[in-house]
Amino acid sequence: MSGKMSRRELLKLTAFSAAAVSANLVPSISIFARPASQDATVVLRFQENETEYAKVVEAFKEKFPNVNIEYVNVTGLDHAEVATKILAQLAAGQPVDIGYAATEATQLYAGEGLALPLTQRVLDSKEELAEYFSDVSPVLTETMMYEGDLYQLPRDFNAANMYFNTALLQEAGLEVPGEEWTRDDFLEYAKAMTGIGGGDSFGYGWTNRLWGSWTPWFFVNDTNLLMEERAPGGEWMWETFYADDPNAEGRGGGWRWPAPQANNPKMVEALEFVVSLTRDGITPEAALGTGETLQGFFTSGKLGMTPAGGFWSGGLINAGMKPGDFDVQFWPKWASQRHQLGVGAAWILNGTAYENEAWEFVKFSTAREIMELVGFFGELTRTTPVRRSMNNEQRYSKSGPPNWHVFYDTLDKRSDTGPIPAPVFSVELTNIYTRYTALATSLEQTPQQALDGMQAELEALYARQ
Amino acid sequence: MGSQVMHLSSPRRRNPVSRWLAADTLQGIQRQRALLGYLFLAPTIIGLLLFIVGPMLGSLALSFYKWNVFRPPEFIGFANFERLFADPRVFTGFKNTFILVVMTVTILEVVAFLLALLVNRLASRTLSTFFRTAYFLPVLLSGASVAVTLGYMFHKDFGVINYYLGFLGIEKIPWLNSSDWVLIAVSLTTVWRNLGFTFIIYLGGISSLPTEVLEAAEVDGAQGWRKITKIVLPLLSPTILFATVTDIIKMLQFFDEPFIMTRGGPGDASRTAVMLLYESGFGNLEFGYGSAIALVLFIVILAVTAFQFVMSRRWVFYR
Repeated sequence: MSGKMSRRELLKLTAFSAAAVSANLVPSISIFARPASQDATVVLRFQENETEYAKVVEAFKEKFPNVNIEYVNVTGLDHAEVATKILAQLAAGQPVDIGYAATEATQLYAGEGLALPLTQRVLDSKEELAEYFSDVSPVLTETMMYEGDLYQLPRDFNAANMYFNTALLQEAGLEVPGEEWTRDDFLEYAKAMTGIGGGDSFGYGWTNRLWGSWTPWFFVNDTNLLMEERAPGGEWMWETFYADDPNAEGRGGGWRWPAPQANNPKMVEALEFVVSLTRDGITPEAALGTGETLQGFFTSGKLGMTPAGGFWSGGLINAGMKPGDFDVQFWPKWASQRHQLGVGAAWILNGTAYENEAWEFVKFSTAREIMELVGFFGELTRTTPVRRSMNNEQRYSKSGPPNWHVFYDTLDKRSDTGPIPAPVFSVELTNIYTRYTALATSLEQTPQQALDGMQAELEALYARQ
Repeated sequence: MGSQVMHLSSPRRRNPVSRWLAADTLQGIQRQRALLGYLFLAPTIIGLLLFIVGPMLGSLALSFYKWNVFRPPEFIGFANFERLFADPRVFTGFKNTFILVVMTVTILEVVAFLLALLVNRLASRTLSTFFRTAYFLPVLLSGASVAVTLGYMFHKDFGVINYYLGFLGIEKIPWLNSSDWVLIAVSLTTVWRNLGFTFIIYLGGISSLPTEVLEAAEVDGAQGWRKITKIVLPLLSPTILFATVTDIIKMLQFFDEPFIMTRGGPGDASRTAVMLLYESGFGNLEFGYGSAIALVLFIVILAVTAFQFVMSRRWVFYR
């Protein structure tokens, strides 16, 4: 036996050991669930911001003193990016027990088996939840369903309505239009509000993302980026909770988007319209992100109109505007007046050791008096509550807008309102969508070229699934 | 008692490893010293294994799998690499990365060197300290906040850069929304943030140049540009090599600025190789494909660095 171990041998040994360790580690990461604690006290990892939920958690702990909440605060430029980070945490073996997902990630978590279907638990608690569902539009509930099952109890939503800067409106000699206003009216408004406000204002601006991007325009042009259909199932929900609600008629088990149709003529027409606004100097360059850039321009009187939901009412006040400085109206009519929306809510990790406790927390959070404790629904509304009864005059009295009723009317009066297209692979879809949108709005490609490219990539994406 | 004496006087029974290590011979002593050395090295080696070699090998292994976190990995051989070499977006990502590296590193090295020369000539210690601090401060800022701030400044319609260019009669430039300009905007942002680090390296190198050589050159008539190109640059060549190697490695991993300022757009005009691997892995949940891109990037960085060191034999002079 040789007495020495050479450096070469040592390196070989270490590399071999590392390879063995790595090879054994990878497959085992697929198990996310944490082992059940033997302690009486349970700690739920909850994807939320402590300042927004401290009062809710406090109230919950009074009822369930053995359950503690550990906050996992995840931020991102948009909901797709937040989902990306949550998945990265899962891959790293640090799952949340209760996550939060908006429409962008609802089917991602449900379709990949990460989120727990709540159907049976909801049916088991139907007496407790009847009042909640009676106060929540079926449009919102259906958006949280996937293949017949419910995965989330809606907490907040935002449909893309049109916000107006009232100072610019007045300077242009205009008033907030009526509910039935059209795309042509919009164009007149946009032109009138361009080049005033010190000479460098724009009539209309938007952010390049999936929600509230140029998506509202193809919705009102009566088309969609992806073909739409309703999944079968879901009767249990409509018969149990919405039997007397005419808005629930014809609903199914959630949305399906079976194929892309990015370059259909109506899509091209919608994008041509949006690009023409840029070309004519009515719209500034469309930035990516959360819309904070637009908010800055809107509050400083440089932007006349922009798509936003109830979340903006509080946001604009926080940014320095005063009640009355802005108002809201439905999206203008084109071929239709169908609105697009996104819904957000908690989901429970499929396989969590604390399924019962997590369900109790989710259910507890749906009570009206508990929802009022959520920070987002405080003095200033920073996202629209799903409960019809919470969208009242008092809620918007300190912020406005005067037409606050438009937020919930988008669901009740425009019952064809539907979710943004967000299938299981919505993160990749969003990437493709924003990339080609930018190519068109930067005038580097024609709308037809951009949408042909988008369609080709979406077809390849569907083929890979 | 007798049996105890018998036991003590009998040879101690050791296992073969202990005998091998403790042998009272020259080889044994060498082995003991080597073992001590390895013990001192152990924390570093373990750290390297756990945090560098292990993940690298794990990533290498993953590049042969299809894995989306939710389901067990599926071995697919070289399929990820076949897809990678047929994917035009990967080519674009690497092309953008190379353009950014060439542009950024060139500006960084030239500007940092010239600033270092100027600051080194300052007689006032206060002024020198002020400029050192001023140039180095951006290095301490987070890449994300710099990118967000400069993203606003580069905005075509509302940014201050176009506002001031307007006074010079220059039309609004679509810095972040044009394939022609976006890499320039990203590169300038990166230069602004990283200049201080390269500047300090050059300043250190220049201030440690041998004064007797510089004075002798001046006596021989070397002044100004001639002195810089014929004396200062050759003497500074090891510093230049270090600065360029570290800057190129860093810039080949371009991520923060384009990700935050443009998300790779418009289209793929500012998408870099690291953005692609991040989006593939964490966005599209194609960890195998992302690992394959990471492996190719690793090989590219290795090759570029090796090339630099080979070429450095021709122009780097060590005193």
